[in-house]
Amino acid sequence: MEMDIDEQQQTRRTGVMRVLPIDDNHPFDLDQYISNYTGRALVDRLTFLIPQCPTLAVQAAQVAAKHIRNMRDTSLYSHLSIAYEQAQTNASSDAPLPPFHEVVSIDQTWIEETNRKNADERTKLEVELKTYSSNMIKESIRMAHRDLAEFHRSVGDYQTALKHYAKLREFCTTSQHVLDMCIAVLELLIEQRNYTHIPTYVFKAEPALDASTNALRSSTHISASSAATPHAAATAAQASRDRLMSERQKTQTKLEVATGISHLGLASYEKAASAFVRVGSAASLGAWATKVIHPSDIAIYTTLCALATLQRSQIKSQIMENDTFVSSYLESEPYIRELVVNWLGGKFKAVLESLEKYSTRHALLPHLAPHLSSLMQLIRSRAVALYFRPFATVKLEKMAAAFGWTISQAECEVVRLIGEGDIKGRVDRLGKILRAQETDQRAELFARTMKAGQDMQSANRKLLLRLKLQQADLIVKAPKQSNQPQQGSQQPIQSAPSQSGIGGFAGKVPEIFTNILSMGSGD
Amino acid sequence: MAPSTSTAAQPGPSAALAPAQEQPKTLDELVQYLTTTTGSAATVNGTLKTFGTKETRDTLLASTLGSGQDPLEVLSPETNTLGYLYILAARLDVSGALPPQIQHVESFCKRFTPEHARLAPDRISALAKGIVKASGENIKHALDPLCSIVLRYPPKPTYLTSVHPIFLHACVTARHFAAALPVLSTPIVDIDTTISDLHYNDNLLYHYAGGVVFAVLKRWREAEEFFEIVVTSPAQTPAAIQFEALKKLTLVQLILYGKAIQPPKYTNNQLIRMIKNSPYNTLGKAYPQTAASLTAIVQKDVEAFRSDQNLGLVQQVIDRASRWLIKKLTLTYITLGLTDIGKEVGVEAEEVRVIVLNMIEIGDINASISIDGNVTFADSTPQFTKADVDAALARAQEQSKLLRDVERALNSSKDYLQKALKHKDDAWGMDEDMYSTPPSGAWAEESMYA
Repeated sequence: MEMDIDEQQQTRRTGVMRVLPIDDNHPFDLDQYISNYTGRALVDRLTFLIPQCPTLAVQAAQVAAKHIRNMRDTSLYSHLSIAYEQAQTNASSDAPLPPFHEVVSIDQTWIEETNRKNADERTKLEVELKTYSSNMIKESIRMAHRDLAEFHRSVGDYQTALKHYAKLREFCTTSQHVLDMCIAVLELLIEQRNYTHIPTYVFKAEPALDASTNALRSSTHISASSAATPHAAATAAQASRDRLMSERQKTQTKLEVATGISHLGLASYEKAASAFVRVGSAASLGAWATKVIHPSDIAIYTTLCALATLQRSQIKSQIMENDTFVSSYLESEPYIRELVVNWLGGKFKAVLESLEKYSTRHALLPHLAPHLSSLMQLIRSRAVALYFRPFATVKLEKMAAAFGWTISQAECEVVRLIGEGDIKGRVDRLGKILRAQETDQRAELFARTMKAGQDMQSANRKLLLRLKLQQADLIVKAPKQSNQPQQGSQQPIQSAPSQSGIGGFAGKVPEIFTNILSMGSGD
Repeated sequence: MAPSTSTAAQPGPSAALAPAQEQPKTLDELVQYLTTTTGSAATVNGTLKTFGTKETRDTLLASTLGSGQDPLEVLSPETNTLGYLYILAARLDVSGALPPQIQHVESFCKRFTPEHARLAPDRISALAKGIVKASGENIKHALDPLCSIVLRYPPKPTYLTSVHPIFLHACVTARHFAAALPVLSTPIVDIDTTISDLHYNDNLLYHYAGGVVFAVLKRWREAEEFFEIVVTSPAQTPAAIQFEALKKLTLVQLILYGKAIQPPKYTNNQLIRMIKNSPYNTLGKAYPQTAASLTAIVQKDVEAFRSDQNLGLVQQVIDRASRWLIKKLTLTYITLGLTDIGKEVGVEAEEVRVIVLNMIEIGDINASISIDGNVTFADSTPQFTKADVDAALARAQEQSKLLRDVERALNSSKDYLQKALKHKDDAWGMDEDMYSTPPSGAWAEESMYA
């Protein structure tokens, strides 16, 4: 696991990034973007953004530096400077970026002081843990581990943080503790983009969630029955049940979000889409909305994944008719809502244009960025396939107009999709017409059956021979002097040259056969 | 002497009662014994086997009669099959012995009694090798006698004998490929080590040589089957010839299907691993592309192909690529100009016309070319007549019967019964399953294709 983390961080920091266009056709509002996040999540996103958008680098670096001052992880500075250097190399030559130290003044005293404070805090926490461990007080040990984990996380030492979370687990006494631990680890893993391990902790959290809900429910029953009047008891019970459900809803939402991000990270877009549409209202995201994932990001992730993989009817029922999703997420990004409406209305040109327009915005979402191009490809393919489905013949000219392409572009796309089997049809290159394939099911069935019969007969024959050979023990065995196969040959016909490079073989190939075939083409 | 031969060596109930005769000591006595004996073929074979001492036997057999007469003149191939065979084999084998006259060899091969000859399989192998040796440079003289042995010796043409690979090797050496076809046309499905002293190499060599013959004759489907048999033959450690066959199989499949097909599951894993790392796999993955880019790929590993002696086949694979590319185009396009095809395939428009015309002629594609050079691809739906379906059904029934017979034979075999009895107590469920299988079970899997 540690290896994984290292590698991922490596690729994240050293990966070559292209410069994204930011202009009137590709609007991007940095202020709005950064207002969505706080703390480390913001700094991480800014460092991700800087190399790709040199035009915004100065502003972004300053914002990031300001936030770093309020945190305790001094290593973020160096990450920032690396990102900034990449931005400098990516920047266009006519508008070079000022050097890093001019943009961000690095406060050496602050760094030293923070490092010293961190060391002090660390020693203090470790001493505490030792004391509790010798006292054998479970709950205290758990809290000491938790504090240490949080501390290490805040200074950016993820591996030690994970280690402490893992140790903490054996000191958990209630399922609520387990749940807290799982949620904390999930936050950590999402921050690290360690997608493969997310499901493990989601699975661990789910039974704990059930158990803790049950425990809370039984305790509220007791408190309700001890209340004075039946009416008061009923209201109290109702209130506590509501609270209970919203608590549960909050955790459940976080788990769904984590699952969705993990599926997206592992490129199973359909699963990601169905996980994301199950998340609860934006309110239940709580602190995650600014720390882990903003509702508008959820809207983007969900919609892109859904367009790329789900059926039109599914998109309608699961997104447009899902009131929670529409009110919490789709509304926060109006263009995304429009995107879905256009898709359902078959206005593919508008869909593709809008996707292109916001491509910069999408490419700057850290979880989505590596998958953006394949998602766009999938969406485009589906759009073409959907467009063609109701027709028997389509003029490529009309198709090109509907998608805003040139005719040859449309033809390329169609030919590729036919090759991949997404469109059942053929192109009339001269008339520039796409014609749907008409298959004669009956003839097809006949052909398939005949072929199956023939295949099975020849397979039977070969297998029977093989069976007979085995019964007669005519099995190829290694020659007795297996280290000298050349001498160990037991073949009746020997005229072969030594077969170098194929060690451990029984027998040799008579040269005469190979010679003959080599000449075969001359016949 | 001649009249007595007609009564000799008729196997039957009376033969067992015949008194054991004195062991013949010299060739004269032996010939005398052979022509007069009434013993069964098995007795005669026993006598011949123990004739003389081990060291002197062949020399004695290879000598002439006291009168200087050739013993083969005296014996008859039909009635004295075994004696004839022993003497013939010895004469061909012992150096310095008088070589038998060619008509003796030929008449024996055409007239011997197969039931008797099967008692001495090692002599038959020796005879076949002797014939090849004696023919020397003129190996095509050996083909006729060998062919007669191969066709007459086994009880059914579906049996493999040790003479099969020798015959095919001779055919290939003499480049008389068509001569092998009567033998190759019947697939081998039976192995009986009691009628022929088989070695695993015999099976491998026979099918490998068969594959080579079919490949030279450009009968790719059969070649594929033969090479596949070699590749999938049971092996603890794969033989070099199996790997060579797999290489050729890959090339043949590229010619036949336009792509390499994963070998069956029961293929030795080591072979599959080795082909994955070979240039053949690279070629198969890249196929089909334009001839120019394929040639570039082949050129990278040209030494490997050359040392495998497969360059000729590889060239045919490359020549074939444009056909596969055109075939692919028919799936995507309805109409295309010849020049467009030429661009996709990487050849000149005029050459494309020739290829397309040829493909239409042999029925590879269903298309027409207009005067201005546009090709229209029509759907090619295969049509089946009632006769085709009936024939297929008949074959299916035949197969089903064959499999049922095999299953019965297996169920009543000693090994199986022993095993079944041993596991009777702890594996009742399994046994019940086996017995309750309906007779049509062999073809029950068919339903999934329907």
